[in-house]
Amino acid sequence: MTTTLTSSAPPLGATVEVRRTGPSLPSLVGLEVRKSLSSRSGIAIAASAVVMGPSGLLLAALDAEFGWVAAPMGVVAMMTGLVLLALGVVSTAGEWTHGTVQTTYLLVPRRGLVLAAKSVAVALLGAALAAVSAALSLAVIAAVGVDYLNWDGWVQATVVTLAAGAVFAVIGAGIGAATANTTAALTVLYLFIMGVLPLVRVGKPELGDAVDPAHATMLLAQGMEETRSILILAGWVVVSSVAGWTLTHRRPVQ
Amino acid sequence: MITVSGLTKRYGDRTVVDDVSFTLEPGTVTGFLGPNGAGKTTTMRMMTGLVPASAGVATVDGRSYGELPNPGAVVGTLLDASAVHPGRTGRTHLRLLASAVGVPAARVDEVLHQVGLADAARRRVGGYSLGMRQRLGIAGALLADPPVLMFDEPVNGLDPEGIRWMRDLLRGHAARGGTVLLSSHLLGEVEHTVDRLLVIGDGRIVADGSVTSLLGADGVAVRALQPRALAVALEAAGFHVEREDDGVLVVADASPAEVGAVAAAGGHVLVDLRPVQRGLEDLFFQLTTSPKGNLR
Repeated sequence: MTTTLTSSAPPLGATVEVRRTGPSLPSLVGLEVRKSLSSRSGIAIAASAVVMGPSGLLLAALDAEFGWVAAPMGVVAMMTGLVLLALGVVSTAGEWTHGTVQTTYLLVPRRGLVLAAKSVAVALLGAALAAVSAALSLAVIAAVGVDYLNWDGWVQATVVTLAAGAVFAVIGAGIGAATANTTAALTVLYLFIMGVLPLVRVGKPELGDAVDPAHATMLLAQGMEETRSILILAGWVVVSSVAGWTLTHRRPVQ
Repeated sequence: MITVSGLTKRYGDRTVVDDVSFTLEPGTVTGFLGPNGAGKTTTMRMMTGLVPASAGVATVDGRSYGELPNPGAVVGTLLDASAVHPGRTGRTHLRLLASAVGVPAARVDEVLHQVGLADAARRRVGGYSLGMRQRLGIAGALLADPPVLMFDEPVNGLDPEGIRWMRDLLRGHAARGGTVLLSSHLLGEVEHTVDRLLVIGDGRIVADGSVTSLLGADGVAVRALQPRALAVALEAAGFHVEREDDGVLVVADASPAEVGAVAAAGGHVLVDLRPVQRGLEDLFFQLTTSPKGNLR
């Protein structure tokens, strides 16, 4: 038997103003940006991404001279991108590691939309952080470089640094979503990009050059092998994003 | 109204939820009972789309959870209190949820006050006790004041005052026309909170009914000045009587009125007469330890 109770209290939802529809993609992107910057790990990664390039240049300047701006900026683009891999990983795999993915999917059950919002959010954040890093790095190069610095290609190097921030963050988000485990995703990515691929490039340079996103970033920033570099980076974005969506969209949230 | 029809979950050859069906009506608190591993949590996760069902459907007002335009505004869920980023403060966590659900940020302070966490709002969740995390999870579920609440083991970690608060919260929600599904292994808590019980064992619903019907009278316990004489009289009247060591007579399938009438007719002096009720615990173990037990 069912007992129906009544009360003089206000009816449910009468006193709370609630949006009737789900969040739009732009509002989800904003939410994901706030999530990324609301934890200490996210803030630490963001700070590292900003200071890694310029501080690396300062250290390098102790025993090297900068004559052509695009060369050290290529290294900055690569280093900043590698740091921002972690931002993407934490935004997706971190949710599985901490269990917060449960709340995320309870409020927005469309998993593809959530992954898209995360990818756009970390791309925007990555580009913004890389822009700050690029600006600081250019200032460092200008300060410690030789008297007659060669500024040829500095615009492309700067743009590539911003793009690398976005691209590597999206790659991290895709791999993080695919693995659903922060430690595993970071270990696999850094071991592969910084350990395996350099070795491959020593043994089989053609193969290594064809798949290494860090090397491709550095060359692209310096205006070399542009088409191939863009294809390599685009390939990484597509493969990681497809892997992330494929493995996420029906994965049980336990 | 929530309708669950034939919900089934298989992992390989193992069936953890088997053809579970029930409906939940507005204005009621339904207790979802079962031992660990019986399938309660998996059922609730399938209802909310977190775990894909192998078969069956669950709908809220005719739509699956994933088809609801803004699910958080319709169903408030607490499935795992630990599913919160430990590095965020309670307030930050709720503000993120408020943005996703689409309620004003000011609502966050209201629910923090409602669940008694206003003073801890600026502390990181990593420093919260289990009871505080439960309250934070409940606060998140209440943000939109949704018509449906679905809580999985919400009283874990709560102190007695917190358990009473929870009971009042859920009863109040039902009194306002809300629908509540509450799973718990704390049988006494469920007994005092719910209108209806769903008992699950080995992945199947083994009992579904009101608390009164499931825990209804199972005979009469009677004490008399001369119990032996009363027992003879009751047996002569066709009742089956069991004699307890302490002198109490338990009369199966009888009402207090029937036993009282036999006693009055024979001039027996009674010192105690009351219906014997099955405890929830007895019912629970009877149903969930017997694979064929089914009181639906």
